Amino acid sequence: MAARVGKIGFLINPIAGMGGAVGLKGTDGLAGQALARGAKPQAPERAMVCLHLLSREADGFVFFTASGEMGGRALSECGLHYQVVYEAPQGSGSQDTKAACRAFLENGVDLILFCGGDGTARDVASIAGQAPILGIPAGVKMHSGVFAISPQAAAELALGFARGDLKARETEIVDVDEELYRAGELQTKLYAVARTPYQPVLVQERKRIYVSGNEEEFKDQIALFASEFMRDGSAYILGAGTTTARIAELLQVEKTLLGVDVVQNGKLIQKDASERDLLALLDREKSVKIIVSPIGAQGFILGRGSQQISAAVLRSVGEENLIIVSTPHKLAELPQLLVDTGDEQMDRIMAGKRLVVTGYRIAQRKETVAASALHDI
Amino acid sequence: MKIKYLLDEEEIPKKWYNVAADMPTPLDPPLHPGTLKPLCAADMEMIFPKALIQQEMSTERWIDIPEEVRDIYRLWRPTPLYRAAALEKALQTPAKIYYKYEGVSPAGSHKPNTAVPQAYYNMKEGIERLATETGAGQWGSALALATCLFGLKCTVYMVRSSFDSKPYRKSAMRVWGADCFASPSDKTNFGRKILAEMPDTPGSLGIAISEAVEDAASHGDTNYALGSVLNHVLIHQSVEGLELKKQFDLADDYPDVMFGCCGGGSNFPGMIFPFIPDKMKDKKDLRMVACEPTACPTLTKGLFAYDFGDTAGMAPVIKMYTLGHDFIPPGIHAGGLRYHGDAPLLCNLVHDGLIEATALQQTEVFEAATLFARSEGIIPAPEAAHAIKPAIDEARRCKKTGEAKTIFISLSGHGHFDLAAYDAYNDGKLVDYEYPADLVKQSLAKLPKV
Repeated sequence: MAARVGKIGFLINPIAGMGGAVGLKGTDGLAGQALARGAKPQAPERAMVCLHLLSREADGFVFFTASGEMGGRALSECGLHYQVVYEAPQGSGSQDTKAACRAFLENGVDLILFCGGDGTARDVASIAGQAPILGIPAGVKMHSGVFAISPQAAAELALGFARGDLKARETEIVDVDEELYRAGELQTKLYAVARTPYQPVLVQERKRIYVSGNEEEFKDQIALFASEFMRDGSAYILGAGTTTARIAELLQVEKTLLGVDVVQNGKLIQKDASERDLLALLDREKSVKIIVSPIGAQGFILGRGSQQISAAVLRSVGEENLIIVSTPHKLAELPQLLVDTGDEQMDRIMAGKRLVVTGYRIAQRKETVAASALHDI
Repeated sequence: MKIKYLLDEEEIPKKWYNVAADMPTPLDPPLHPGTLKPLCAADMEMIFPKALIQQEMSTERWIDIPEEVRDIYRLWRPTPLYRAAALEKALQTPAKIYYKYEGVSPAGSHKPNTAVPQAYYNMKEGIERLATETGAGQWGSALALATCLFGLKCTVYMVRSSFDSKPYRKSAMRVWGADCFASPSDKTNFGRKILAEMPDTPGSLGIAISEAVEDAASHGDTNYALGSVLNHVLIHQSVEGLELKKQFDLADDYPDVMFGCCGGGSNFPGMIFPFIPDKMKDKKDLRMVACEPTACPTLTKGLFAYDFGDTAGMAPVIKMYTLGHDFIPPGIHAGGLRYHGDAPLLCNLVHDGLIEATALQQTEVFEAATLFARSEGIIPAPEAAHAIKPAIDEARRCKKTGEAKTIFISLSGHGHFDLAAYDAYNDGKLVDYEYPADLVKQSLAKLPKV
């Protein structure tokens, strides 16, 4: 079925996601630092994956966008019709995202499609009001419910919505509360409510943080078991999250809640490691293993939250040395675990029924899926 | 096609069979938990009657069944052997499938086969009350029934996860006059200690055994009774296999492969041990397969070593396959299969290669049980269903190869108290647990030598 005529506002936060691979917990205000640490812009590339898919079926679409790296360039490279309604300055920022969105609304768009992370989502949602918005995931943190699980899925959702097959639902825009986070507590804060096209599975559920006495007991069990099998002398890369934090707590090492740390023989040997640090570690250590846990209701074990554990790091560690831990409660709410390393081959290697440690000497098998593959399920 | 092979009441065996007489490798002795020296009869007298201690240590091949016990066996024994014609048809297999159904007992499982003689011998020696543990509730209700028939009192410590998920098991125990408490309970020192450490624990057989042993050891008029693992339990359960051999004669058939579920060991060894002498003599190809859950894979992933029989370290130390007495298996629906060890007699035969073992996931087990119920009618207990799944797989293999193998399933009980588990399966809510054997091995590798 051909798409009905639709107006789409489109923008890219060009610096989104750059902080992740170099160990920063976000990129806002830190783009210069990220560049200095060797980060490459990845948002435009992820946006183009989505736009290419749209270009095949989007004859009836009219795109409104901001100029240059904020949208125009990507649309032009994908051969899509567009109209620049906002002139973006060099080194655009939060104010430009908001101004572009105001211009989209003045042109009566049916949907705002944006590419970025939680910070971008907050900016877009602060202007959008009742206009539906949809995120192409490219940030460091994507806890908000407006993100499709992959660029491919974002294209599916946008098309489905334009055709009238999908409806919009209300969802929360959340971000990590930075004050609490600095105090060492991982808690998401609600910033806004937005409408977003919805199809089960293709949109990330808002990230949840579970608190219950019972679940805490399971975290203790997992930590106890981990503290036992971590005695084997290997260097352990501990991913982000509260479950891996409990392991660190039991070992009495200080954990970076949203970052990646390395522990060996019960001692912290690298705090808040970047991808480069991990690759250097792999060069000098014989045996390196990774412990990760799914991030909230999204079920991402790789890609979101711990981008330092890149495809290159994984390849070097070996998928057999990846240990997944999760409380049974969290696992029960996830339809599957998701991986999005940015490397399709690696994602495919990671897919399948993976062993997940859920308690003391207890594990379950859980289906693990490449997020990029989900759009055609 | 003949469906049921029935024996007359007079054919209830008059003697039990004791496989200890035919073991290729003799058992290593059980050790005292305090001294770690071989256990002597006097050590056991605090919690067991003399007659059972004698059986426990016996290597006599045949042991007389008292007439009073046979009289009660008559209430449901001999149990029927069925030809699973409808299941064969559903599977379109050339294989012949048989099952012997122990669910016809008043308690709905094979457990009264040993509960009755245990209650009898305790009554004969003047004991007034028995304390025991129960996993799924099958053993607890069997002992409640048996004690009530011989005028004894009964206290049952029921593993918490089953206590909560199978409320009607405790109702049945109450009808038969027993007291049933969720374990860990506040009735014993050990239960109180565990509750203080882990208030939300699902409990385990190991914990419940510790509570029942503590209860028995601290009361002069009270003994302890165990529904699996021990030699005398396996001796009593041999009535199943002895009947089965006669029934296969009636059917003019003989099994190629036998499947039975295995938790601590009672139904499976009871059914197959009488076939062990055959296997050692002229039926070398007979396969006997113990079926256990992947959540608690004692025989397939455990270590063959001396370990405590219970969590507190009060029960004898025995040589068996074990996942460690401190392991608390996850709360699977086949509660009767959640035990960290297995019967030493069975473990020895597995170690000697006479018996095989396989481990199964909950979901595949319930899927097989549903197919069985929809063809044979009987809703199997989740424990028993562990034997059905690999039997179905074997029958499907026969379909491919065209072999007309004779496959036997030991159907230890019905699932009428387990319907909540079937609901969970039908609602897609069952979790497939697995024992992370490699990580456990890794965690044990560098343990300090004690």
